[in-house]
Amino acid sequence: MLKKLFPTLSHLRSGVQILMLFVTVYGSVVVGHYAADKISNALPVLSCAYDMRSGGYCVLVPIQHQIHHRIGEAMVRAQQLTSQMVLPLLMTLLSFFVFFFIIGKAFCSWVCPLGTLQELIGRLGRRFGIHLRRLEGDDLGEAKRIRPVKWVLLLCLVFLLPLLAGLGVAPHSLGNPYCDICPSRVATTLLTGNTEQLALRRGGNISFALGAIANVLFGFTVVGALALRQPFCRICPMLAFNALFQRLSPLRLVKISRENCGKCRICSEACPMDIREISGEEGSKAFTEDCTLCGRCAEYCPQDGIIKMKWGPLSLFSSSRSYYRDKVRTELPDGSLKPIRFVRAVKSHD
Amino acid sequence: MPVTRGEEQRPDRQREWTRFPLLAAVPNRTGERGLAAVRPLGIAATEVAVIAADGPDARRRVLYPVRPEGALIEAATPKTGNYHWLQARAESAEEILVASSVWYFPNPGKAPTEMLLAPKSELEIIPVPLPREHSGYRESEKWQFLVRFHGRPLANQPLTLETEFGSRSTFLTDANGYATVLFPRDFRQAPAPGGGEAGHGPRRAGFVLATEKTAHGKRFLTAFNYTYSQDADRNRSLAWGMVFSLVGMMAAIPLLRRPSADKTREEGTDLA
Repeated sequence: MLKKLFPTLSHLRSGVQILMLFVTVYGSVVVGHYAADKISNALPVLSCAYDMRSGGYCVLVPIQHQIHHRIGEAMVRAQQLTSQMVLPLLMTLLSFFVFFFIIGKAFCSWVCPLGTLQELIGRLGRRFGIHLRRLEGDDLGEAKRIRPVKWVLLLCLVFLLPLLAGLGVAPHSLGNPYCDICPSRVATTLLTGNTEQLALRRGGNISFALGAIANVLFGFTVVGALALRQPFCRICPMLAFNALFQRLSPLRLVKISRENCGKCRICSEACPMDIREISGEEGSKAFTEDCTLCGRCAEYCPQDGIIKMKWGPLSLFSSSRSYYRDKVRTELPDGSLKPIRFVRAVKSHD
Repeated sequence: MPVTRGEEQRPDRQREWTRFPLLAAVPNRTGERGLAAVRPLGIAATEVAVIAADGPDARRRVLYPVRPEGALIEAATPKTGNYHWLQARAESAEEILVASSVWYFPNPGKAPTEMLLAPKSELEIIPVPLPREHSGYRESEKWQFLVRFHGRPLANQPLTLETEFGSRSTFLTDANGYATVLFPRDFRQAPAPGGGEAGHGPRRAGFVLATEKTAHGKRFLTAFNYTYSQDADRNRSLAWGMVFSLVGMMAAIPLLRRPSADKTREEGTDLA
């Protein structure tokens, strides 16, 4: 039954993504109205707290909030590092980790609403024949050149500025700067029919500028995703945050070396984050900080048992030639879709 | 975090804008987020009951004496929930007056659903639901309130709304005791002297809902006060939002062009 519904790992992931898009954007219908009812306020995905229908909050929200209001303000009051300051932050990190432990960075590629939206837009682009662009040397430049951006955003917008705002060094309007520039805030609230987050705040230059950045990122992501896979994910501080803990989750991709491995590079081609190392390296080096555990590399590896998705000692999925053959009948590694067949093949009566 | 902290979301300050009883917030000078102080106005109450949604039994309902500086509500212990119900009461042979409000602590615990519906006085105004975290009552929005008398819904009961900006309107409950209250768009008027809100949240003002009933020769008057904020469109620009979104879209358009030196991924990766 499950096999019929989800014949490939990609189908299963798409199903999970759609379900999670509903849970993260409209989940209060299921989990309840109040903030206390939500699944968690420390989800490892961009599930927006400004969306009044959401089923849970992104972990970056309380991190900024606690650094701003608890740590920064408490330090100003010259208090010692007491449990009153640090405990809420530790509780947030612990709640986050309870979720993260289960599927690790796969939250990005299986659960995150913005990730799902970008992927759906990308499919639309492939369907309409928009040429795929890649972060590779011969197209838009190497993906690794853009990798530090997400770390800078995490450090500055999630940790540093909220702390400075709490200390009173920076204005309070910089108290949650990542939320202010997050395109998921705009996208997910629009999905609930609410245009408030699309509208820019007037009356303060900082708020206006941060909102403008969010909207530019939102617009760029919506159109850019037609040609470039997962454009925002590449600079997303949530990916950096998840990467901090990536070795602490049992879910991982594993690659073993084989003598002809690294020649076809189909795994890198299938990777929506354009990670070249998947084909060129082996072991943990093959899956860099950008890997979101989507599993496409394993699906498109044409050799048996080279790339595996494992949860601890359990092998959840393993590359195989037969699976690859079936897979490329409907979708090429770069995401291009084979034409939809509306007419069944006519059997020959010879 | 836009609205869930500081003074912005607290019940209203002392003002001469309503004849109904209020629980007015006293500014918290310490900045301690787990402390609150309220002062009953228009009601001769000697204590304020604070009802939590969660936590040990001893913390579920705590009475705080009213002092000259107000009723000082101590730091909420962990796991008592976010919203706490505040209630002051004055009783005489002729009447029973009740002033009620809610206070939001950034505190984990159960949602306030059960706490709100639990009977707390003879005549009750129950917000169903309260605004969620990061949200609030706002101009032009409709919110539902349940009116009960001795635990039973009151049909066709008038519920009067008064705001700090001088609006006054009356709503009738339906057959199930629910009144749908429309918050007036009245922030156009200049705020009262000393009014408005400091900080980076939206501007807020106080409102009070009140209902009155006479039974067995006794008058019951119950009020619920809290704050509402101005409509988001007053300090936001959708036009600018769309302009910058379009700028982002335009910036991405070069990506949609086929690169000149196409390195031909098209010829097939099907090595099968």
